[in-house]
Amino acid sequence: MRLDALLFDPLLPLWLMVALALAVLGALALAAFRRLAGWPYRGFAVICVFLALLNPSLKTEERQAEADIVLVVVDRSSSQRLSDREAQTEAALAHVTAQLADRPGTEMRLVEVADAAGPGGSEVMTALVQALSETARDRIAGAIVISDGQIHDTEFAPNLPAPLHLLLTGRSRDWDRRLLVKNAPGFAILGEPITLTLLVEDQGAAPQAALADIILSVDGGPEQRYQIPVNREVEVDVSLGHGGMNILQFSTPDMSGELTDRNNAAVVQINALRDRLRVLLVSGVPHPGERTWRNLLKSDSNVDLVHFTILRPPEKQDGVPVTELSLIAFPTRELFLEKIGEFDLIVFDRYKRRGLLPAEYFESIANYVRQGGAVLVAAGPDYAGVNSLYRSPLGAILPGRPTSRVFEEPILPQVTEFGLKHPVSESLESLAPDTGWGRWLRQIEVEATSGQVLMTGRGDSPLLVVDRVGKGRVALLTSDHAWLWDRGYEGGGPQAELLRRVAHWSMKEPDLEEEALLAEPSESGLQVTRRSLTEGPLAPLEVVTPNGERFTVALQPMAPGRYRAEIVSEDLGLYRLSSGDLQIVAALGPAAPREFVQTIATDRVMAPILAKTNGGALAVSEGLPKFRNVRSGRPAHGRGWIGLVSREAYVVQGVEIGQFLPAWVYLIFAALGLLIGWLREGRWDK
Amino acid sequence: MAAVTGALLTSISPENALAQMSQDRAIAASRAVVLAYVETQDARQDEISRAGLLGLSQALFQRTSIEPAPPMGLSLARDELSFFPFLYWPITLGQQALSSEELSKLNRYLKGGGMILFDTRDGDIARVGQTTKEGRVLQQLASGLNLPPLAPIAPDHVLTRSFYLLQDFPGRYPRGGIWVEAPQNSGVQVEGMPFRNLNDGVTPVVIGGNDWAAAWAVDEAGEPLLPVGRGMAGERQREIALRFGVNLIMHVLTGNYKSDQVHVPELLKRLGE
Repeated sequence: MRLDALLFDPLLPLWLMVALALAVLGALALAAFRRLAGWPYRGFAVICVFLALLNPSLKTEERQAEADIVLVVVDRSSSQRLSDREAQTEAALAHVTAQLADRPGTEMRLVEVADAAGPGGSEVMTALVQALSETARDRIAGAIVISDGQIHDTEFAPNLPAPLHLLLTGRSRDWDRRLLVKNAPGFAILGEPITLTLLVEDQGAAPQAALADIILSVDGGPEQRYQIPVNREVEVDVSLGHGGMNILQFSTPDMSGELTDRNNAAVVQINALRDRLRVLLVSGVPHPGERTWRNLLKSDSNVDLVHFTILRPPEKQDGVPVTELSLIAFPTRELFLEKIGEFDLIVFDRYKRRGLLPAEYFESIANYVRQGGAVLVAAGPDYAGVNSLYRSPLGAILPGRPTSRVFEEPILPQVTEFGLKHPVSESLESLAPDTGWGRWLRQIEVEATSGQVLMTGRGDSPLLVVDRVGKGRVALLTSDHAWLWDRGYEGGGPQAELLRRVAHWSMKEPDLEEEALLAEPSESGLQVTRRSLTEGPLAPLEVVTPNGERFTVALQPMAPGRYRAEIVSEDLGLYRLSSGDLQIVAALGPAAPREFVQTIATDRVMAPILAKTNGGALAVSEGLPKFRNVRSGRPAHGRGWIGLVSREAYVVQGVEIGQFLPAWVYLIFAALGLLIGWLREGRWDK
Repeated sequence: MAAVTGALLTSISPENALAQMSQDRAIAASRAVVLAYVETQDARQDEISRAGLLGLSQALFQRTSIEPAPPMGLSLARDELSFFPFLYWPITLGQQALSSEELSKLNRYLKGGGMILFDTRDGDIARVGQTTKEGRVLQQLASGLNLPPLAPIAPDHVLTRSFYLLQDFPGRYPRGGIWVEAPQNSGVQVEGMPFRNLNDGVTPVVIGGNDWAAAWAVDEAGEPLLPVGRGMAGERQREIALRFGVNLIMHVLTGNYKSDQVHVPELLKRLGE
């Protein structure tokens, strides 16, 4: 294609031209005034010279027409795979491709949008902006989005120079039920009910239903069923069962005909804090280790410590009047009979039977343990003797029988092979000073009658024995010399950590459970940690993904008692994990990913963007549109058709500039003018 | 028995014998509560210190559930301090300056929850602007120690009620006051000041000049060794001195136990809810 244009390119600067023109006009005017006969001819000559000076040129462009571009963005996000949307999408894409192929001078640019990384959802507009930035704006004849209309980045909508159209998948009879849990706190106080707001919402053309089933499962435990009204927020009071992380899974059954069950469940993770841990510390005798217990328990701001030390046994009297003494009788009956159930842990530190506490109190303590309480005994030499706690009714639940021998010699505490696996004693050895743990100087020999020996002292004699009794737990430390670690004798050792773990294990702290299955999101999916004390191979990890896919993963040993597995997956939602008897539910990202929050196809989200470009939305289910050409700025859609703008863009491939007339033409005309003028002024006419 | 076999098995060299001795001492010191005193250059003072702590140990044995083993004299250079909850340190004019090892040992001891009773034995006659010779020695000694701010004991300090109710702390001298760690705002953790929070509020040092060991001192038969005051009033003074000793040891072993007792009824009331 060629296009010509006339250009002027003066040979002299403009001001000089104007000055010359004025001077010449002045001379001409004077000539005319003086009636100089040849003035028109001389004027003609001057104009010819001026034309020559203006230098008219002819520009010739070599142009090439460019094809119109139509951007086609196909939403391939998860919500586009619901129902028959995938087929609709394919049909629409095939239709658009064919139509654009038929349109002369049209090029189609196809962009496909998958689920955004993380919680992003469908980022259609972002993809459109990206495609636009790679395209010349003056060639864009239009853009077509094939989607269910549920996009999540409308704020990034580009400013399009041509109509944007939406071919909407989905059907008008689509409906979906989803479950929402609101007001879920991250933390809660154990024992205090928390209020959650549940909402079962029916979206789209849902069948009229008044009630919906709700299934609640705590920590993957048995299911409890309730019914709540649909489309109304319902407040539910929940009490948490145990300290630490509670995973509440709410779900509502998959209804036939609904789009997806991916938004029918919600997981709420609530960390339950005990209001206060109540610890009763009973010291039989003031000794150097007593303050290490106090320091340990009092440094934990979460512990309410009730301490009870026998400062003066009943058999010692010095005749000092009571008014000069600062001794308080302890409310033993209240503590050991009436309110014993209120304690989370009872610690006996070098306690011996002195006739202060009757046998029925010890019976009560034993029952307290069987019903879920915890007792920790730090045995002093009295444990070996006739007044030993073991010879009280409490002995029935203690895991070590004293042999009456007391070793008073340097003893190096050691973690047993079993202890390396146990959460109480694992990795404790890494907390030793450079020279290794300091030694203790006393141990009471016991025979472990039940439970598990986590540490030994002299020879294989048990130093730390833990056991479960009924619903409760018992720990027996057969030395009162843990304080030597605290004081740094021979470098000391992790006294505080050891005693803390023993105490917290007794109180069933979830972090110290022996058999545990934990999962946390990692970069590539879920990282699963399994703690177990069992010998030999573990049951493999069974995984049910949010899609319902099932597979098993082998658990790899990491450290004694610790196994790990990595689930590589990008599917957001709830994973059901189980290994042996343990099962948990873990959420990767939100339980209902963004794609499944709103699933009903709609043009409402994109309508404002479409309107700005004069584009329109047409449901694929109502037939595929024809394409028409419209002029820019005119309405570009109607019943059964959508419009594209013909852009007629071109590129210039070459420019030629040539003289309009050769210089000698001006010369001849100017000379002719002068000659005729001269002749007229001469005697030609005379 | 095991110790004896151990000694026979290893070749008997002076070093081994020394190690064996220190091990035996360690076992003896950790077997029961052992009150310890710092040995001085003055043999007579060491004897009074030993007799004083023996008297206090006896009183504890007879009156309380603490049943101490015989007291031990310690050399700062030689002995491991970590077994002893309590050190009695009489200040004598012959007190040598402490080496840096001894200082760091003492500081570690204080940080680990030990307590030292410094006794200038001068009846606290020092007044504003004056000090006794012993006072100056103590100042010199304490300058290298990592001590918290001190203050005269408050009337509600836990030492006044850790076993007996006391307001005076007499020794051989009746009236001198004592200095303990200055009270801090409870619950406020002070950076770099570990004593109160780490050690249950037990003051790391008690400083006074009442010559307590002399008042506590007993002979082998358990009879008072040195005279205190006159007649019945003197006996009363000795009794109160012993009560102070008992309170001090109770405090060092049980920490703020007695202060906490105030909160127990409240705690118990809450338990029922």
